[in-house]
Amino acid sequence: MTQAETPEPARLNALVVAVAQARDRGAFEALFTHFAPRIKAYLLKLGAGAALADDLAQDAMVTLWRKAALFDPSKASAATWIFTIARNLRIDAIRRERRPDFDPDDPAFVPDADPPADARLMREDDEVKLRAALKELSPEQAQVVQMSFFADKPHSQIAEELGLPLGTVKSRLRLAMARIRTTMGGAS
Amino acid sequence: MTATHHPSDELLLAHASGGAGEAVSLIVGTHLALCPECRAKIARMEAMGGAILVDLAPAAISDHALQSVLARLDAATLEPPVPRRDGKSFTAPEPLRSYLSGDLDAVRWRPVGPGISYRSLFRGRDASAKLIRSRPGRGVGTHTHRGEELTLVLTGGFTDATGHYTRGDLQIADGALEHRPLADPGEDCIVLAVCDAPLKFRSAAVGLLGKLFGF
Repeated sequence: MTQAETPEPARLNALVVAVAQARDRGAFEALFTHFAPRIKAYLLKLGAGAALADDLAQDAMVTLWRKAALFDPSKASAATWIFTIARNLRIDAIRRERRPDFDPDDPAFVPDADPPADARLMREDDEVKLRAALKELSPEQAQVVQMSFFADKPHSQIAEELGLPLGTVKSRLRLAMARIRTTMGGAS
Repeated sequence: MTATHHPSDELLLAHASGGAGEAVSLIVGTHLALCPECRAKIARMEAMGGAILVDLAPAAISDHALQSVLARLDAATLEPPVPRRDGKSFTAPEPLRSYLSGDLDAVRWRPVGPGISYRSLFRGRDASAKLIRSRPGRGVGTHTHRGEELTLVLTGGFTDATGHYTRGDLQIADGALEHRPLADPGEDCIVLAVCDAPLKFRSAAVGLLGKLFGF
C-alpha cells in the first residue's frame, strides 16, 4: 500500500473529533471505510474466523462511536486509539478474559511528573515516522515484533516456536524497542 | 517516589499488544498506575500497534456491514469523559482494587506460616494472582521457581540478594533465581504475586504448607 492511499493521521484524528463533537455521520463513514477492513484483517491474523472477524470489526466501530468523546489526540493517534479498542474487544470476545489496566481517573493513580519526564505530546508526524521505523527493523526484529502483536502467546512460547532461546527473542525485542524509541524522540 | 525496578520490555509489550493473560495484565497494569515512566513506554508500544494496524492489507468487509453499523448508532449509549475522582485515598490502585472488596485493609487474609498470610485472587488462563502479606522482618522462606514469578510491592518493602524493593517496584524471578525475600522492619509488606507455576520451597515443611494453601 502506498503512502497516498492512506489518509494522513491528522485527517483521521479530525474525523474522530468530528464524531465526538458533532456526531458527524459522514466522518464516521469515512472512518469506517478506512478502519473496519483493517480491524477485520487484524482479527483474521489473530486467528478469528471470517464471520466473527466481520462482527467484531463492526462492534469496534460502534465502540468508536460510543467512546469518541474519550479520544485525546494529544495522547494517541486515531489509529492507535482504534487499535486499543480492537485489542480489548478481541480479548473480551474471543479469550473471554479481562484485560485489567490502569485508570487515570483513579485517586490512587500516580500522575505524570510536570513536565513529564519522557511522555511528550504525540505529534501528527509521529505515526508516519513510526511506520517508517517499523519497516526499517531487521527481518529478525520485525518478526518478533509482529509475533508479539499477532501470535497471542507469551514470548516464551514464541521463542519455542521459532526454535530460539528466550534470551534471543528478548534481546531482539529490546533492540527493536530502542530503535522505535530513538525514532519517537523519547528518552531511553 | 517512583519505582526503580520495572517490568521488562517483553512484559510491557505483552500487555500493550494484548498477548498477556489476565494475571500478567493485572500486575503490569497495577505497576503502570504507579509508574509514569513505564506508561510512556506503553504509549509507544500501543502506537506501534496503531502503525501496524494502519499498514495491514485491508480485508474485504461484508456488503451490509456499514448499513448495519449505521443502524446501531442511534441506540448506542455514549460514554462521556469521566472527571478525575478525588477524595478518599486508596492504597491499592486500579486495576487491582476491582479484584478486592474494598482496599488492602479489608482483605481477609489466610495465615500460611509465621508472620505470613495470603489471599488468592484468581487463577487465569496461564497464571495465578495472589496477595501475600509479610509482617515486618518476616519472609516466605527460601524458594526457587518452576516458572516465572512476578512480584509487585504495594506496601512496605522487601530485600533479597537481588536488591531492595518498595512500593511500585516489580521483581521478575525466573527458574534461575533462588531467593529468600525478607520484609523490611517497621511496616507490613504486602505484595501482588503472579506465578505461572507453583513455587519450589527448599524447606519441606514450608513446601507442604504451600501445597495445602495453593501457594
